[in-house]
Amino acid sequence: MRRPLLLTAVFCALVTLGTHRVLAQAAAPAATPTPGPAPALVRLTADHMEFYYDQFLIEADGHVRVEASDGLVATGDAFSMDLKLNRYLLAGHVTLTTTSGTVHGAAIADFLDFSRIYFVPVTTEPDRWTFLNGDLQHPAKGRIMPGDAFSFPQVGPQPSLTASSAVVGTRDYVRFSGATGNLGGLPIPLGSYVVNFSSNQYFAQNSLTGANFDTTWNFAGGPNALSALHFRYDTVNYFYLAFEQHLVGDHEYAIFSVNPISRAGKFYNFQLYDRLGSRFQIQDFTQLYVYQYNLSAPQAATQTSYINATYALPHSYLTAASNLTNYNILGINPLLQQTFFPNSVKVGAGNLSHPSYLQIGWSSFQNRIGGSGSPFYEQIYGAYGFNHDSVGANQYLQGCTVPKCGLGGIYALPLQVPGLQAYGAACNYKFQPKPPIYFCPVYTTIYDQVLGFTLFATSIKLGDQDNPYKTFFLNASLNEQEQWNSLPHRIRQTIAQASLSRQFARQVNSYLSYAIQNTGDYYLRGGYTTCSPTINGQPNPACPPGLDSFRGVATWHTLSLGVNYVPSPEFNFSILARHHADFPPPVPNLYAQPPLNVLGQPLYATYLGQPPNDLSGDVRFKLLPHMMVDVSRTYFFHYGNLTWSPQTVIQVLPI
Amino acid sequence: MDRNITSVVSRLLSLGVAALAIALVAAASPIVVSGQLLAYQDGYVFFSTGDGFHVAPNVVIHDAKTGGATTIVPGPRIWARATFDASGTVTELDLSRRPLPPEGNFDDVARFAVALSTPAPNPDLLPQTPAPGQTLAPEFRHFSGKPVLVTFVAEVPPNTPFTAAVYITTDASGWNAQAIPMDRIDTLHFQITRRINSGTIFRYLYDRGSFQSVEVAENGLQRAPREVIVADADVRAVRDTVYAWIDSTNGGYNQSPTGLPTPYNPAPFPNLPPGVGPPGVATPCAHPPRCPPQ
Repeated sequence: MRRPLLLTAVFCALVTLGTHRVLAQAAAPAATPTPGPAPALVRLTADHMEFYYDQFLIEADGHVRVEASDGLVATGDAFSMDLKLNRYLLAGHVTLTTTSGTVHGAAIADFLDFSRIYFVPVTTEPDRWTFLNGDLQHPAKGRIMPGDAFSFPQVGPQPSLTASSAVVGTRDYVRFSGATGNLGGLPIPLGSYVVNFSSNQYFAQNSLTGANFDTTWNFAGGPNALSALHFRYDTVNYFYLAFEQHLVGDHEYAIFSVNPISRAGKFYNFQLYDRLGSRFQIQDFTQLYVYQYNLSAPQAATQTSYINATYALPHSYLTAASNLTNYNILGINPLLQQTFFPNSVKVGAGNLSHPSYLQIGWSSFQNRIGGSGSPFYEQIYGAYGFNHDSVGANQYLQGCTVPKCGLGGIYALPLQVPGLQAYGAACNYKFQPKPPIYFCPVYTTIYDQVLGFTLFATSIKLGDQDNPYKTFFLNASLNEQEQWNSLPHRIRQTIAQASLSRQFARQVNSYLSYAIQNTGDYYLRGGYTTCSPTINGQPNPACPPGLDSFRGVATWHTLSLGVNYVPSPEFNFSILARHHADFPPPVPNLYAQPPLNVLGQPLYATYLGQPPNDLSGDVRFKLLPHMMVDVSRTYFFHYGNLTWSPQTVIQVLPI
Repeated sequence: MDRNITSVVSRLLSLGVAALAIALVAAASPIVVSGQLLAYQDGYVFFSTGDGFHVAPNVVIHDAKTGGATTIVPGPRIWARATFDASGTVTELDLSRRPLPPEGNFDDVARFAVALSTPAPNPDLLPQTPAPGQTLAPEFRHFSGKPVLVTFVAEVPPNTPFTAAVYITTDASGWNAQAIPMDRIDTLHFQITRRINSGTIFRYLYDRGSFQSVEVAENGLQRAPREVIVADADVRAVRDTVYAWIDSTNGGYNQSPTGLPTPYNPAPFPNLPPGVGPPGVATPCAHPPRCPPQ
């Protein structure tokens, strides 16, 4: 029985494709692929079963029994299923049972996505049967079969887990029973374990915060649900447990999590999303912070909810964003308890503030300026917002208590007074005994309006346009935004940037960029408080030249030169050199450095006091067949006592 | 006498020719191929090509490595070197649990494969017929499984912070939001090249490190994953436009799973030193240790 050599090569190559979903009809010149049949269930039991996570392979041996939702029941000696190719093979003393009887054979392969079952029966002699479109009664006999229909894949040296049975929801998940995980050779009894490989990205939505270490036990799940217990570590809570539940549909999802379960301070998070029709979506994120031991009565509880809705218009979209926060949902009693018996509680009960906001916004699409082929685009947007807090606490711009005021250069402890924002001069004392100072008037409601536009030009070719390695690309953008608050107070921001880039060779590209950001914080009355450059005739180190003339308008100039060297996808080296010329000028140790995110990067893109020069290097290389490592760090040229960025950022990346 | 001598010589020559012919036939008849077994049952051995061959009743089973006796039982997953006699019957099997070096060609023994039915063409495996009036199918693509260098170039929104990191998240890595970091190549573009096997349907989205900063569609709604079908080619470039990030759209929010929110804080300069700032800021005293309580 001859097979077309080309087709054999094609199918053999497909077997080795690894973890990605592939086109199994690859041998035939294919038009745009069409979705396969509806997902099926395959139930599998065997004496011994292994799962290889990096290849998405299930391998089983000994008394294998397969029951598929298309009515196929088969037993055999050895089983192999590629979850990404969505096909399986059963071989050795195969018994196929259908409604019309039992047939014995040597092997059977089910290509689920294509409704093709290839069977090698052994009646009086071997034969080749193909079952088409789920019809197990009328095989097409003698049909040439794909060359790799009965190939066993090569597997790695160690399985990720072993199990005694499994249920495969094709294209979505596999749920193992009697599972034992393999953690560096150490057997970990898991019982039930679910591997989710759905293409539905809603499974990736998560409501957990970052952690230094996280390993997940998916102990239950199906095509629309996933339940997971997380074993985590971070520098605040150390080792702890967290729980997360996903409920996912084609157009909606709901996620619930508790993190950390095993600590008193718990965050209960709820995320909801629904797409109603093709133009409207609504989503909610609600967080409940509770300080409680196990499930005892909480000592503190705070709630915040965001609800956002978006409606798509033909060439723009409308958004409505809202937030409601209650800093204390336990009422006055915990506050009294905390006041009169401060040693009886471990944590502050919060305050009765409950700020809220609602913002209606509109944004256009990015519209091309000029005719087809023009590189120029514009986009405009605007919003109207309402902010309110009748109780108020810890407002922005309130004074801070001495001596804690100014610790680290941050407004450490704003005073607890009504409203959202104080403004103006010091209020008369209203309380006795003499309280800390605060400012009047205090606003409990602030409206704001935002208007902005963006102009940009993308990939304008310059130089020798016939040679891709001699072509320069010019990119530029301008963003202007103004926010008017009813305080009265307005913030104006202008960002202009341009870059010239070139691909020098296949491996090397480089760009030169210049950016100017101008931010003005204007108050109709009063203006910014300035510092005094001298104290008692002596220079004030806290008020260097430049800062003494700062009136709320800052400018950042940044010149950047970046070079990427990428000899292969498995190795990458990038370097970025920047020079900043800012106002107010940076002074070492005067401005607080911005906090870092979990990746070790500054939370603010631009900030006052950034070192005038920095050089960042980033190297990425393949460490293992399925793992890359990214290492990056920044050098600050001895800015004050800052030589290197606080930490080397190391990321482990799957490939 | 001469006739006798001639007769003897003739007989000897005949015998020699016959012996030579037998030796040549004997030397040419055994065909050896190696491959992976699919099954061993009912008097047949099946290879992973799906072909079944008769097994001699007195088949010899050896260890492929030592050539001696073996405890390996022929069956699925076992690698074997099969020796066929001239009639196409397998007379010897040398077994191994590890892959054996390729030996022989199954095309040479395909004629010995036993099958009741006459081979019939499989329409699934035939090339598609070009549409009338066309000489080549317009969507002709081939998927051989070989690695293809795919370069992704993403144009990001102009309001993307210059220091932002941009990633590709994909179903191939369980939607890990930081699976594939990209390199900035100018003010508005990021780029990365990856080796992806031909035949892969690659579903992906761009993000800035988490699903709280994933891209959204041009109309502000959450978008379905992008999809690239990688066909045979040496290299491939995929150019995409990211219209907005979910946390930077109008009304967008950057939900923080553990941090309490600051609902109203329009501070554009969050790290000003004490004593400098908008109206309403307390002025610190010059000599904090000697400052009286307010």
